[in-house]
Amino acid sequence: MPQFFLNKRLIILLVSIIVLVALIGFSLRERSKLSWPEQFVKDTTGWVQSLVSKPANFVGGFFENLQDLQNTYEENKELKSRIEDLVSLEAENQELKKDNKELRDILGEKRTLRDFKPLPATVIGRNPDRWHEMIIIDKGNLNGIKKNMAVVTAKGLIGKVKTVNQFSSTVQLLSAMDPKNRISVTIQGETSIYGFVQGFDDKKKLLLVKSIPAGVKVEKGQNVITSGKGGVFPEGLVVGKVVEVKPDQYGLNQTALIKPGADFYDIENVIVIKRLMTQPEITDMENEKEKDL
Amino acid sequence: MKKFLLPLLFLFLFLAESLFVQFFPGNSFGGKVIVPHFLFTAIVFLTIFTGKKQGIIYAAIFGMIFDIVYVEIIGIYFFLFPFICYLVTKIMHIMQANIIIAFLVSLFAIALLEIGVYEMNFLIHVTDLDFMGFLNLRFYPTLILNAIFVLIFGYPLKRRFEKYADALRDE
Repeated sequence: MPQFFLNKRLIILLVSIIVLVALIGFSLRERSKLSWPEQFVKDTTGWVQSLVSKPANFVGGFFENLQDLQNTYEENKELKSRIEDLVSLEAENQELKKDNKELRDILGEKRTLRDFKPLPATVIGRNPDRWHEMIIIDKGNLNGIKKNMAVVTAKGLIGKVKTVNQFSSTVQLLSAMDPKNRISVTIQGETSIYGFVQGFDDKKKLLLVKSIPAGVKVEKGQNVITSGKGGVFPEGLVVGKVVEVKPDQYGLNQTALIKPGADFYDIENVIVIKRLMTQPEITDMENEKEKDL
Repeated sequence: MKKFLLPLLFLFLFLAESLFVQFFPGNSFGGKVIVPHFLFTAIVFLTIFTGKKQGIIYAAIFGMIFDIVYVEIIGIYFFLFPFICYLVTKIMHIMQANIIIAFLVSLFAIALLEIGVYEMNFLIHVTDLDFMGFLNLRFYPTLILNAIFVLIFGYPLKRRFEKYADALRDE
């Protein structure tokens, strides 16, 4: 009965498509944490990955060191010229810090949005398909990592913690496209300009900062840092530099293209940032009037 | 011991993809995105040289692990790996299983996989890249990398899987 077999195949295909849609729907919805089978698989592979990636890091580091040796001379020349500026900068920094502390004591304001606690971690894996830009780090729930914490390298912000398992967690990079992922940033000019990091230009490799009011003037080369006003990240993490500004679709807002300070490739060690200032609850932010509406 | 050799090989390739992406300088080749499909290539070879059943079972298991560990959206590779392996068995019905055919078929399978994943991601708004952009930015460089991989490792993989098929027949 060839007809029957043909039908059977068709039914298997249809059923698997239904299962596919159901599974994708299940995993796409907003989840506070992964289900336990997923956590188990991720932790087990995370353990194997950390076994493999440590020697791999060692070998990779060796070759990188060799490469570094090649241009030592030029780097040395440049560094020497910079070190002179550094001394005066350091003195100024110390003075400002002292000033800042004194003024804060007068105000009686102890904690600021800038305060954070760093938790170092090592990268043990990366998503090979590169659609969902994610890296896996070797610290998890047991090390005090929570969802939505900021993740930085020495050069700047790279992303936020997406999911947490017991011994490992997944970091979503800024270069991933996720409409739910908005980071409140400040563009440092004569006055601070606020906007949201929202999306990444795949072809130009630049971050998009949207929702900048149309009237303000944003210039090339201005620094972009996190504002801390989003309620999740602390203030003052470096994001990048403005490269280009253009009006958005309807001309009501502007969009700035930002060259990220951190390299999204070749990440080895990261720092997970735990914000010390309390996070505002949604209920605190809406007042009585809004509730009535 | 021999029983574990095959799962270990696939596990190694599974980790090798992640390591490759982690250490490969991302900014070379003019910012083109190169995706390694070592695991999938091996699974296609397994399907061609050992058998349909083993191929599809391994495809389903490793597709699911891949989804859970790397993608966090269950279903994309879990569906596409076995589906494309099934198509490969259909193609192999009318082809001879030699190394050149295997090379071409595995490249075809990788092309199908890339396009399938792109279409799915486009549907669920993970990407808003247009199709031409996708071809230039990801598709051609990925095919070239994986062609090189198949050229180097195709023959050892073929030997390994043919031996495995013989061992299965002897049992």
